[in-house]
Amino acid sequence: MARKSTTLSEGVNAASLLVIILVSWAIFAVLGSGFLSSFNLYSVGQIASRDVVLGLAQLLFLAVGRLNLAVGSIGAICCSLLGYLLVDTKLGLPVALVLVALLGVGASLVMAVLELVTRLSSFIVTLAFLSIYGGAALLLTGNAQYQITSAALTKLGNGTLWASWCCPLAVLAVMSAAVIWSVYNRTSIGWKMLSVGASERAARASGVNVGRTLLFAYGASGLLCALAAVMQSAYQLNVNGGVGSDWLVPSFIAPVLGGALLNGGNAPVTGLLLAAVFYDSLQSGLTILNVPSYWLQLAEGLVLLAAVLLNNVRNNGTLKDRLMVRRRAPRLRAGAPA
Amino acid sequence: MTGHTRWLPLLVLVVVSCTVVAFATPRFGSTYNMFVILQAAAVDALVGLAQLCVLAVGDLSLAVGGIGALVTVLAGNCFQVHHWPATATIVMALALGTACGFVNGLLIGRSGLSGFIITLATGSVFTGIAYGITNGLPYASVPSVLASVGQDRVSFLPYVLVLTLVISAGVATWLRWLPAGRELLAVGGNRDAATLAGLSRQRAVIIAHSASGFLAAVAALMYMGILQSATPATGSDWLITSFAVPIIGGTALTGGEAPAFGCFVAGLVLAAINNVLIVLNIDTNAVEMAEGLLIFAAVWLARFSGKRKPSSPGRRTSLPALAPSASSGRSSQEGTPVRAGVP
Repeated sequence: MARKSTTLSEGVNAASLLVIILVSWAIFAVLGSGFLSSFNLYSVGQIASRDVVLGLAQLLFLAVGRLNLAVGSIGAICCSLLGYLLVDTKLGLPVALVLVALLGVGASLVMAVLELVTRLSSFIVTLAFLSIYGGAALLLTGNAQYQITSAALTKLGNGTLWASWCCPLAVLAVMSAAVIWSVYNRTSIGWKMLSVGASERAARASGVNVGRTLLFAYGASGLLCALAAVMQSAYQLNVNGGVGSDWLVPSFIAPVLGGALLNGGNAPVTGLLLAAVFYDSLQSGLTILNVPSYWLQLAEGLVLLAAVLLNNVRNNGTLKDRLMVRRRAPRLRAGAPA
Repeated sequence: MTGHTRWLPLLVLVVVSCTVVAFATPRFGSTYNMFVILQAAAVDALVGLAQLCVLAVGDLSLAVGGIGALVTVLAGNCFQVHHWPATATIVMALALGTACGFVNGLLIGRSGLSGFIITLATGSVFTGIAYGITNGLPYASVPSVLASVGQDRVSFLPYVLVLTLVISAGVATWLRWLPAGRELLAVGGNRDAATLAGLSRQRAVIIAHSASGFLAAVAALMYMGILQSATPATGSDWLITSFAVPIIGGTALTGGEAPAFGCFVAGLVLAAINNVLIVLNIDTNAVEMAEGLLIFAAVWLARFSGKRKPSSPGRRTSLPALAPSASSGRSSQEGTPVRAGVP
């Protein structure tokens, strides 16, 4: 029952996001020149693709009721390793990609293991690793700049596919979203992650191995961080250990605007996809309307704030479906502020 | 060992290692270097105190740095561009910081959402305004009173450290003996019991965030005085510091316990470690790593040395702010693995 209404509200959310995207595109196309040019749509696609993957990495955490502050720092160590392997060791691209993926998964698993062993909150663990990994990336590379010359990566990030506005990265992003969607909707591990997010006690009581489920979620999230790092390297082609320092807010915007609950328990992949497109269209549209780049961070914050508050208003409805959960665990809430 | 002395082993360790470093590198022990360390410690401790107020009520704020940036920029703007007198600038800065915190508290209290996501957004808004106004460029002139307080010293003792010590004492008094402060700790310690006792969580959250904004503004003004310029980059590195300092100082992340003097000591510890790494010519990026490791070390230490409060037997070191709050209709224990029996 709750499941059905969640799917419905996710559908409504996705539809409204689609309308917002079309309206904003219309506004930008009329007010600014060149918004709908294939060049501009291409560059929106490049960045939106990275934001989709980044959002998915955060969504995996949110869905199990956790937070990941270290997405950017994992991205930083992955970018650094990729740059180092391709530029300094002249290793082949496939080997480098495998090693980067392993590093992303490993780095995320370390956080999971520490969280499970120490029983600290994910906030503190990922906050500590935000600075540990972030510092390590700069420390080990010595602030080096890596110029990536790999032909395959250049084609991936700056080539075109089918049409002049279509970036290969976009295909990659949609494919990742499809995989994550199937994991959540078609596999048992996906259901387990959602149940852990909805109620860890209930999940444990129903026989879900919470530790293993968390390890899977963290590992998959680390893989997506590594993918986002590779994508950014592919279109930027010039990376250093500082990549990822501005990933934190975007990583939350896509899932939250897409309708993800901050307490966990749902995974609106379609909404996330559209939210990333909307967010990056907005950034690009504001640039086209000659808004100085220094004001764009303000827009970033305002979008997140609006998304959070909208989400809150909207979910007050759907959360009523969860009153069953509330009755099962009554707490003293007399006169609690709503 | 209670939370109020949890930092003691760390302090001893740091004093011992500083002494060793001082003998190895004479540069470290010089009066001027001591002054630099204590100056940095003053700002770190204030940034930590700004977070401490919010942690006390069981919430958290990622907007401390954002408030710092906005306050710095607007103070610089009013003073340099609009030629406000120094007093008016300072009063405006403190009021602005408090107002920013008030907005955070209001949004969090009204929506019932966790402070994490709201302050992530508002922090980005504040920083965005700061960069938008200045286009990323600093203001070169600051009120002379700030500059003199920021740079003056008696031998190795900077004025700013004395100021921070006084403010720490003020915060400690407020939390320990004054009704509003005790209300924060009561709500942070056990939200349900406080609610039953007639305390409003919403009110406590608003007070805590306003106090946090005020302290962030003081830290921003102090940093402005030390740096002798008003840059929008102020606060960009306060996120980790703001958590590292109270955690090292022994603040319970579950709320309800807030040793203000712990923050003061933790500020000294952090600044000393920072300086040691620089004096020993270790990469400055190591400092960032060290902060992360220190957070772990401090929490670890608290785990083994701190006795659990009998009032909260099943609590683990988690943040109730991140657990679902009142409006989400789920118990705060539920989102976290249960460790030793549920109350």
